[in-house]
Amino acid sequence: MKKDLISMDDLSVQEIKEYLTAATKVEAMPLIERVQFLPGRIMATLFFEPSTRTRLSFESAMHQLGGSVIGFAEKSATSVSKGESFTDTIHTVENYADILVIRHPGEGTARLAAKESYLPVINAGDGSNQHPSQTLLDLYTIQKDLGKIEGIKMAFIGDLKYSRTVHSLIRALMKLDVTDFTLVAPESLKLQKYFMSNDEPGKYKFKQTEDIEVAIKNCDVLYMTRIQRERFPDLVEYEKVKDSYVLTAAMLKEAKEHARVLHPLPRVNEIAYDVDKTKYAGYFPQMKNGVIMRQAILLKHLGVQL
Amino acid sequence: MSNKNEVLLIPKIELGIVVDHIPAGQGPKILDIIFQHEEMKDVAVTLGLNYDSKKLGKKDLIKLQMEYLAPEIIQHISIVVPGVTIKAIKNYNVHSKVVVHPPKEIKNLLECKNPNCITNSESHVGTLFTAVDDNIKQVKCFYCERIFDLDELDVVIP
Repeated sequence: MKKDLISMDDLSVQEIKEYLTAATKVEAMPLIERVQFLPGRIMATLFFEPSTRTRLSFESAMHQLGGSVIGFAEKSATSVSKGESFTDTIHTVENYADILVIRHPGEGTARLAAKESYLPVINAGDGSNQHPSQTLLDLYTIQKDLGKIEGIKMAFIGDLKYSRTVHSLIRALMKLDVTDFTLVAPESLKLQKYFMSNDEPGKYKFKQTEDIEVAIKNCDVLYMTRIQRERFPDLVEYEKVKDSYVLTAAMLKEAKEHARVLHPLPRVNEIAYDVDKTKYAGYFPQMKNGVIMRQAILLKHLGVQL
Repeated sequence: MSNKNEVLLIPKIELGIVVDHIPAGQGPKILDIIFQHEEMKDVAVTLGLNYDSKKLGKKDLIKLQMEYLAPEIIQHISIVVPGVTIKAIKNYNVHSKVVVHPPKEIKNLLECKNPNCITNSESHVGTLFTAVDDNIKQVKCFYCERIFDLDELDVVIP
C-alpha cells in the first residue's frame, strides 16, 4: 500500500522516531552509497507557490539518491493557468513519476492529491496548514543540536497564526513530550487555540507573551518565523506588525549557553545578520539537514528499507 | 396541552414517519430542513408545537405521510437538531425508532468555513468532516484540518 506524508497529525511517535533514525543513517552514509538507492525512479515536484529551499532540497535529495526529477515551480507554467483543475493536474502528472511532492497555497490540497492519486504524495506545504517535511527536519536539527527533544523548553516567535511550520512543529513536539512552550506574537498573529488543544489537561504549558526577552532567557530553542506578507488579506495590517520582532546578537547575551536559534527561512529582517556568526545560529545547518531528512523521506515513501 | 389533546390535534397515522422529542421551538427548523430536500416537496406534513413532554418539558412533533425518510435527510436533521427521535409507523404502531445523533463522519453535507480550503475551490471534491469529541460538538475538516464547532457550519444540500 502506498504511503503518503500529509500531516504531522497522521504520524505516531514511533513513526516520527523512524524518520529521525533513518535520517541519522542517511547522514552517516557516503554519497557513493546513497546514489545507488533510486536509479530510474522519478520524483515530480508540483509547486503552485514559490519556494527556494523546499523545492531545491527535495530535488537535491532525489539527485543524491540517484533518481531524477521533473516538475514545475509556478502554476503559470502549467495548464492550471488555462483552467485545468487541481485534480486533473494530479491525474496527469501521476503518469510520469513515481512520487509526487506538492506545494499549493490552498489548504487540504496535499490530502486531496493523496486521495486521488495511486502514487505516494508528500506535502511540501499546503497554505497555512501543514509542512511535515520541514517539521521532520526541524526535529532532526533539534535532536542533533541539543541531543534530545523530550522536555526541552521551546519558544516560537513572530507569525504564529499563519505559519504552517509552527503549526506542524507544535503538534509534533507535543507528541514527543515537549510540554513547555513560550509563544511570542503580536495580538493579531497569535496562535489559534485549536493548535494547543489536547486531551491531557495540565500537561502542557503555553505561555503567551509579546515580550521576546522572556523567551530568550528561558528557552532552549528560539524558533523564529517571518511575518508573511503574502498571507495577509489586508496589507495595512501587515505594515502594523511586520517589524514586531527583530532578534540581534546583543539580545542573545541573555540566552542559555546551549540555546539555538532556528528559522524555516526565508528571513526578511527578523534575525539580524550579526546573529549569523554567534554560536546560537542554527538556521544554516538546519537547511543542510533538510536535504538529509528529505532523502530519508523519499527512501521511506519509495519503499527502500535502510 | 395534554397528551389527550395531542391525539385529538394530531391523529394517529397508519403509515408514516414521526419526528418526536424535538425541543420546543425547534420544530419549524426541522420542517425547514425537510423542505430543503427536493424530493420532500409534495409530502403531507403535520407540525405540532409545545406539547407536554416528560423528557423535555415541552416538545415539538412532526408527522410525515411517507414510508421512508432518506438517510441524508435524517443525517441533516441529526446535525442541526441532535437528539430527536425518528419513528417509523406501520399499522398505527411504532414499527421502529431511533434517536439520531450526528455521525462521526459527515460527508458532503457541511461547507468548510475556511475560504482557503481546497473544497471551496474544487467543489466537485465534496466535503468530509470527522468528529473531534465523543459528543460531536466539534468537527475537523478532513482536507484543511481546521476544527470548527458543529453549529457554526452551514449545511449544504447536494
